[in-house]
Amino acid sequence: MTAGTTTLAARPQAGRLGSGRGRAALAFLSPAMLVIGLFTAVPIALTFWISLHEWSMYTPLGDMEWRGLGNYSDLLKNQDFFQALGNTAIYVALVLVVTVPLSLALGMLLYFPRVAGKGVARAVLFSTYVVPTVAIAIVWGALYAPDYGPFAQVFAALGLPDPTWLSAPDTALVSLVIFHLWQMIGYYTILVIAGLTQIPGDLYEAARIDGAGFWRQTWNVTLPLLRRTTTFIALVAVINAIQVFDPVYILTQGGPAESTSVLSFAIQRAAFQHGLAGQASAMAFSLLVILLALGGLFLAAMRRRS
Amino acid sequence: MRRRAVRLAAGVAIALAMLPPLFPLYWMVISSLKGPEELQRVPPTWFPADPSLGAFGEVFEAVPFAGAFLNSLLIAGVSTLSVLVTSVMAGYVFAKYRFRGREVLFWGVVATMFLPPVVTLVPLYWLVSSMGLADSYLGVMLPWLANAFGIFLMRQFIADIPDELIDAARIDGAGELRILWRVVTPLLMPAVVSLAIFAFVFYWNNFIWPLSILQDDSKFPVVLALTQLLSYSTSVQYQNVVMAGALIAAVPTILVFLLAQRVFVQSVSRTGVKG
Repeated sequence: MTAGTTTLAARPQAGRLGSGRGRAALAFLSPAMLVIGLFTAVPIALTFWISLHEWSMYTPLGDMEWRGLGNYSDLLKNQDFFQALGNTAIYVALVLVVTVPLSLALGMLLYFPRVAGKGVARAVLFSTYVVPTVAIAIVWGALYAPDYGPFAQVFAALGLPDPTWLSAPDTALVSLVIFHLWQMIGYYTILVIAGLTQIPGDLYEAARIDGAGFWRQTWNVTLPLLRRTTTFIALVAVINAIQVFDPVYILTQGGPAESTSVLSFAIQRAAFQHGLAGQASAMAFSLLVILLALGGLFLAAMRRRS
Repeated sequence: MRRRAVRLAAGVAIALAMLPPLFPLYWMVISSLKGPEELQRVPPTWFPADPSLGAFGEVFEAVPFAGAFLNSLLIAGVSTLSVLVTSVMAGYVFAKYRFRGREVLFWGVVATMFLPPVVTLVPLYWLVSSMGLADSYLGVMLPWLANAFGIFLMRQFIADIPDELIDAARIDGAGELRILWRVVTPLLMPAVVSLAIFAFVFYWNNFIWPLSILQDDSKFPVVLALTQLLSYSTSVQYQNVVMAGALIAAVPTILVFLLAQRVFVQSVSRTGVKG
């Protein structure tokens, strides 16, 4: 509680809903709450409701047929669902293990050295984040192309066999991860730099007087003081990786052999291409439950730490 | 000596780190300038032998790209405006009013930031189409006219404004709307500008929702027109047209980013946590 709110509280009726000012508050709040309530909160409940039915999406909601938990028991027998679940887990894990150390390294590189052009470098690194994913995914399709693509040419020049990139089940998912990292790393790097600016310079001064070199300073000062930033980056990286849809849709359509079918893609495809809205909703609600469980674990871990 | 060597090494490392972000953008530009014959060469050329702007004209003949560009401007523009207004209003209430359930409501809103859009895609489609808004501009925009991130950002900034300023205006007899418009909003300008940029980039790039709700290609935003372009020219010799389209689609967000680069990068920092 800030000092300001206590002053307000000292006066009775201040800012309560129902009073004159309360009516203003209600008017200010309701547009946002109406949109978020109607188009986010209500749909969460509806997702569960639809998941208990069989429904083709393009018929009226009244034509839904009650299936109880049938869609869920179907999911347990559905190999493609588990494949999508596994692909999503691998995708998220790979993004996470690269994003955290790489953004920390890049953030330190673009914060500490006294060299010209750091501002430009930060802007360049961040620029990939604002380019439409659809547009730049198309470009990556050309980069990854066999024969006509520059990556194939570079590997040939080095005398290495061309990794099959998007065209083989073994490499397609990793290729999508590389694209994701390429697009997002600048954003996380900026977050690291923001965290670094919060560390008081005299801490490094004191460490230096104690004879600590760069690596000891990093280990004993920088990393411990960046812990909250690092946690935040890990959280956001996971959330962003779980949502991935655009590059899968543009580059692979889930293939080859379902190797890049992640949950977002599988859900959208089941509903909008196959007309299996009940099945899609069961997947969507399962994803929500998994997210809530992960969120709960995360909060519990945070609480135990502090 | 040693310090200079370290600085040089850092400079080189920074320069090398710029290559990955720039190379795909470079490849996009040179591919759009190549002719059909050059695009089919193996290995590919790294500088266009005979650069031509012809592909940029073909984009507009191949698909209704100009219309799509205007559609995107309309959708992203209106959504951004609406997000600004609703976020400032809601952020003000969450920052400066006391009422029962405020914290629960606020953190409930914040929690929706972490919800993957695909979780609610099916019911959202049903809701919007049963309002008779499938395949309409309003249908594309309506679910996104308010935004949890915007509310969160505005509350953080408005909380920093001293209550004394607001109380003084109240004593002078100003109404709540006047206070919000004349006292609070002017102090928020940097935050409002950065939210505007964030929202514009987000709505310009948004793909999964327009893909799901729109059928009629005369209403397609530019990212959907790109998918049309992609299927129109799967053969490598038309790659210049696809790349030209991708480049045009990226111009507005890159332009907005370059114009307000400093504010934008600062605002990203603000959304992070301290320490």
